[in-house]
Amino acid sequence: MIAAILQTLLNAAASGGVYALVALGYTLVFSVLGVINFALGALFSLGGYLTYLLMGGLISANGGLPGRGLPVALPFLPALLVAAGLTGLASLAVERLAFTPLRRRQAEPLLYLITSLGAGLVLVNLLQMLMGAEGYAFPSQALAGLPAALLIAGARIRSVQVLLLLVCAAAVIGLSLWLERSLQGRALQAVAEDATTARLLGIDSEAMLRLAFLLSGALAGLGGGLIGVSISLPGPYVGIGYGLKGLAVLVLGGLGSVPGAIAGGLLLGLAEALVPAEASGWRDALAFAILFLVLLLRPTGLLGRRTPDKV
Amino acid sequence: MQQCRQRGSLRLAALLAAGIGLVAWLGQQADPAGRPLAAATAPEGELSLGAVISLTGNANLYGQDQRRGIDLARQWSRSQAPVRRLRLQLEDGGSDEPSAIAAFNLLINQGVLALIGPTLSQQAFAADPIAQRRGVPVVAPSNTARGIPQIGPFISRVSAQSAVIAPLSIQEALRRDPGLRRVAVIYAQDDAYSTAETLIFQQALAARGLMPVTVQRTQLADNDFQIPITAALQQQPQLVVISVQAVAGGNLIRQLRELGYRGQIVVGNGLNTPNIYPICQRWCDGILIAQAYSPELATPINRAFQRLYQRTTPGAPPSQITAQAFSAYQVLFEAVQRLQRRGGLDGLSLGQARAALMAELLSGRYDTPLGPVHFTPDGEVVQGRFYVAEVRMDPGGRSGRFALVRDSSLGGGATIR
Repeated sequence: MIAAILQTLLNAAASGGVYALVALGYTLVFSVLGVINFALGALFSLGGYLTYLLMGGLISANGGLPGRGLPVALPFLPALLVAAGLTGLASLAVERLAFTPLRRRQAEPLLYLITSLGAGLVLVNLLQMLMGAEGYAFPSQALAGLPAALLIAGARIRSVQVLLLLVCAAAVIGLSLWLERSLQGRALQAVAEDATTARLLGIDSEAMLRLAFLLSGALAGLGGGLIGVSISLPGPYVGIGYGLKGLAVLVLGGLGSVPGAIAGGLLLGLAEALVPAEASGWRDALAFAILFLVLLLRPTGLLGRRTPDKV
Repeated sequence: MQQCRQRGSLRLAALLAAGIGLVAWLGQQADPAGRPLAAATAPEGELSLGAVISLTGNANLYGQDQRRGIDLARQWSRSQAPVRRLRLQLEDGGSDEPSAIAAFNLLINQGVLALIGPTLSQQAFAADPIAQRRGVPVVAPSNTARGIPQIGPFISRVSAQSAVIAPLSIQEALRRDPGLRRVAVIYAQDDAYSTAETLIFQQALAARGLMPVTVQRTQLADNDFQIPITAALQQQPQLVVISVQAVAGGNLIRQLRELGYRGQIVVGNGLNTPNIYPICQRWCDGILIAQAYSPELATPINRAFQRLYQRTTPGAPPSQITAQAFSAYQVLFEAVQRLQRRGGLDGLSLGQARAALMAELLSGRYDTPLGPVHFTPDGEVVQGRFYVAEVRMDPGGRSGRFALVRDSSLGGGATIR
């Protein structure tokens, strides 16, 4: 019985951690700009492919540059971090192309949705042109030295998922500490709270916005690399599903709330893990039904705050 | 005022009717079936065949094998002194139903004589009815779900249905471990092939008095199987029977082994491609799979197929899916040649030529790399030999082979050593 409960909790944490990571990416941009960056799923895919290439992986026969790769072969963790950084830079490019022109024209928030969705689709298609549509698996020695799985009080979890959990936890804790304790983190929060006042206080809100996009992309890239090593890269659209789940978590946790994104991710993971075996094929539907119920009872999400009407 | 409004409504209705009529007329004009066959052929007199295979999406692993099989068949056909040459129009069918439907419509409207494809049974159930309505012969190279040829008289397949071959791998697993009692079943519930095949597997298990201790359902897009695997492992299975598509299957086997499962694994036709090796790597070793093709079949056509294959991929034997795609093109090619020799295509419209080709296809006998095959009147393939293979991975774990361990035609199922 204890083993079954522990297994459920481990399963929940393993999937919920990645959802929380993606939701945090959405949260950072939403809290500063008040819009959702729909390109985040594509950035997640990009992070996975960059990690693969940085580890010395080659482009397949159906890719744009068959048999080619990068002239480096980094171990997994350095490759993951470099890929996350590069994905952050790609996120900045998305900001420049899909968000800046609209912001300058003070466009409706709905338009950001379309441009970011478009940027994401272009990015996924570019990935498909370059890498081909087939699946890529990381070399089995990517995590050499670790046992394949751990048995904890009768519950099993793959080592790669423990690593995934640890990296997610480190990223989430690190980001929370940075937001709360560093000058830049607090400046970012100030811009999120009220951009005009923050600007009057001498904070460069444009720089903070770019920082939010950089971090958001890096988190997505980190998620993509971790998922890649855990379940391989089944195709350039791998990030879209995670992007959708992250979006659900963002709403579930409360729009713009960092603790809410973490709690929402874990709750969605738990909802999926609690689905009984007989209904396992309906896991997504049941998990989203729970999300629907939570939102009926608490429209602002788990930890979201009701925004007072401005007069 | 009232009269004015009535007149406006009448005008609108007339406009709508005219619009619908125009669309219907344009639709008729777009259907090339009524044109003479000569007008539908290429300037060099070549007849067009269409192929719709999955080159993108999660079924692209099969599509790559199929493209190679069709390319090899075209090379082979050029050496057969054809009396009527064929040209191929290849369209990506994606891995979903809308893409396959769009590709079928496109090729049919372009006036192809017959179609090969689509890759997945799930797609066939959506796209084949279009070909059936338009009277275009279809030869499916890889659809194994029950009911594909029954879509209509224009639909046939060279891929033996799961019901015939899938139980063989269960037999082999039981032969290896007659004492096994605890079986876990995992399948993708939103995929026609997987749901059809798992029923056959479960019937084969029931026929031997085995009831699954757990049935775990996944979805086509799933790649993280932590939850269904740990739920299955809690039941301590001795055999796991899997019906999912290739990429997901590779991931599932890898995760199953990583989570500590050491028992036998039987997989369905979805994993019948060497393209799974890079995904499940060393964890693929030992899985059992029933096959409709043996690279070791010593017939002239299979040797010719192997020679052509080895030119592009030295050292590796072709997969079942490649052999089936080769055979799909071959049967159409041979039927067209027979028809042409008899003058059976002279003076026909494209629609009539399509119907004549279908009748010719079903009446013929073919010596293919799969062995001798022919068709039942409703388009089902009749094939005599089936096999069970075990995946044996190379020490590096990046490549491997399907090693035959059982031949169903040898005295009702002899073991190969």
